[in-house]
Amino acid sequence: MNGWKQLVVKGAEDNHYVSNPPFSHPRWVTLPGVVSALLLILIVVSAMLALVWMAPALPWASVWQDAYLQRIVRFSLWQATLSSLLVVLLAIPLARALLRRPAWPGRKLLLRIMELTLVLPPIVVVFGLVAVHGRQGWLPQLLSGLGWQPPNYLYGLGGILLAHIFYNVPLCARLLLQELERIPSQHWRLAAQLGLNSRGVWLMLEWPVVRRALPRLLALVFTLCFTSFAIVMTLGGGPRATTLEVAIYQALRFDMDIGRAALLAILQLLICALLWGVSGRLGGMPSLTPYTLYRHWPRADSLGSSRYVDSGWIGMLWLLLLPPLLAVVLNGLGGIWLMLWRHELWAAWWLSIKLALVAGGLATILATLLLSAAGGYARRGDQRISALTEASGHLTLLIPAMVLGTGWFVLLRPWVSLTEQGYSLVVFANTLMCLPFLMQVLRGPLNSLDEPSRRLADTLDVRGWYRWRWLLWPRLKPAIALALAYGMTYSLGDFSVVALFGSPSQPTLPLLLYQLLGSYRLREAAGCALLMLLTMLMIFLLLEWLGRRGYRSERERSSP
Amino acid sequence: MLVLRQLAFDYPEQDYCFDMNLMAGQCLAVQGPSGAGKSTLLNLIAGFLAASSGEIGWLMDGSLIRWNSLLPWQRPVTTVFQEHNLFEHLPLWANIGMGLHPGLKLNSVQRQHIEQVLDDVGLAGMADRLPGALSGGQRQRVALARAWLRQKPLLLLDEPFTGLDVHTREQMWAGVKRQCAAGVAVLLVSHDSEDLDALADKRLRLEKGMLVAS
Repeated sequence: MNGWKQLVVKGAEDNHYVSNPPFSHPRWVTLPGVVSALLLILIVVSAMLALVWMAPALPWASVWQDAYLQRIVRFSLWQATLSSLLVVLLAIPLARALLRRPAWPGRKLLLRIMELTLVLPPIVVVFGLVAVHGRQGWLPQLLSGLGWQPPNYLYGLGGILLAHIFYNVPLCARLLLQELERIPSQHWRLAAQLGLNSRGVWLMLEWPVVRRALPRLLALVFTLCFTSFAIVMTLGGGPRATTLEVAIYQALRFDMDIGRAALLAILQLLICALLWGVSGRLGGMPSLTPYTLYRHWPRADSLGSSRYVDSGWIGMLWLLLLPPLLAVVLNGLGGIWLMLWRHELWAAWWLSIKLALVAGGLATILATLLLSAAGGYARRGDQRISALTEASGHLTLLIPAMVLGTGWFVLLRPWVSLTEQGYSLVVFANTLMCLPFLMQVLRGPLNSLDEPSRRLADTLDVRGWYRWRWLLWPRLKPAIALALAYGMTYSLGDFSVVALFGSPSQPTLPLLLYQLLGSYRLREAAGCALLMLLTMLMIFLLLEWLGRRGYRSERERSSP
Repeated sequence: MLVLRQLAFDYPEQDYCFDMNLMAGQCLAVQGPSGAGKSTLLNLIAGFLAASSGEIGWLMDGSLIRWNSLLPWQRPVTTVFQEHNLFEHLPLWANIGMGLHPGLKLNSVQRQHIEQVLDDVGLAGMADRLPGALSGGQRQRVALARAWLRQKPLLLLDEPFTGLDVHTREQMWAGVKRQCAAGVAVLLVSHDSEDLDALADKRLRLEKGMLVAS
């Protein structure tokens, strides 16, 4: 015990009685994130300013006078409002049904498909929807076989709503399910003991959770539908169903009217910002996590007729999701053989993978830095800086990707060529566009180190790199893998930025698919869509496997 | 010797002021009803709370080495809490090994020590288990095993024997006594008179925010 005396003396002399772990200064937690946040704000603001600068006299008065513009704004708001209300109304009973039926056959698979739909490329989804709901699709053929000729509902508002429901009901239900699974187990135990019926469970346990999550969830779905591009572009069916996002694209790509694009973009930004500002005050944002440790308690309300009701809801979700995906696979099986030996397909595939890897990786790193800094400031009590740091990652939810891209292009035009460096802008835009979603995935695990664990880590000097390596990384690994998968697949399926900055002679997979569809090479297009779907699936499976690998070799690895 | 001189901490509903000495090799027990400030005392010594005034430090060769400005990881102290002593996702060897090196860079001798100390607390062969697979008593034994292996001059025990069966408790008492014999100063907070009878060389009570002889 002689050593400790020296330690005490040394500790008093220089306040370090053992050597500091690497990166243990608190600034390592906050500084990289704050620098990233400032850069993000600078990038976004400069892009917007560049657009405004390019349009010296913004025709503000035209917003109120131009009938076409008024119609676009009205339709954008109308379709987004209708979509988000329908999505939420469908997602609530679905989430409740999934919570109440933990042993429903295929539940696990359904949850995985729900995860996947979030990042399915819009162009692939549209392809699947057309195959099922189009004029010659499965459903109309089935109905006409039964003697009823349904009206064409796929093009126009009907198709937009259907696609938005396809995309957002799984996302919304999944988020709500996770929120419901966070209800403390004691509450479920009590509900089971009291034999609460479905209404009682809803009023006492579920509604308070749903009510808290609802404002932000509505805002999220509204924003996604409001800024939806590829779906409106392909299923909109003409000028009657044009949204602000598509009008911005048309102004930039066809009319080369940057001033008008800037005006429309600012209008869109104002509407989204207003919505987020209001929703932020009304509730908290639910987070996406890779897995939950929810324990299912016996529920009195799971008996009787609720079984049929729940089965109906879950069955409906299957019917919504499965046929379009199945159509992509079945149609693609024929087409992929035609494409398999084509150089253009594999060149597009390789380009897409490279772009996705860079964009997904960058976005994952950025999201981690921003959230770490926000958490660090929050623990110090600097709530305002914490909120600002985190908000910087969500800026792109409000600003269309193509507006950002155009702004940067205007800024960098003297040095950047659209044909040569266009894909740098694509990577850059995709990185920022998927950032808000990745932050949702990483937020929970990054903040998962509770106060007793922090206190224990402090007593053991597990700080800096060691804390990251041994305490955070094992919790974060699955989330980082999921975030990377989301980031990569988002970028892989991106059509909106690629449509503007991509090179037609050097297409990515979505661009190639669009070109094939445009030239009516439908079988090849189906093959291309299938390859995209399979690639995304592979990315998910590979990253999930990497993320969930256990601690088998930790012991060996820790040896010097 | 651990020295607390007029060490004060102000809560809105109660002000605390602690005066005490704890000799190396001594086991000092602190009693008091819930809310009397036992945890506040331990948190002040461990460095989780900053005193509003007064002195805390280690008296050695007649001079006081002040700890007031030292952060928790800079203080030569090991704390065993009532619960939450283990990281749930790490196996037992890692939970104990962190007491030897926070980055788990362990040499073969240290690894042997971990195996040995697990054997000492009756958990031989369980090095690779996760804490979730252990009972409450076994978890506390792991925490105490780590505390013994760390060999810090001051050991803070915050009701660490709660929920242990009689046999395990006696094993743990023996371990604490060995620590005292080796020169470690032990500050024990416990409600249980059996713990105090078995271990305490000296007892203090917390009354109205102050330590008084029991």
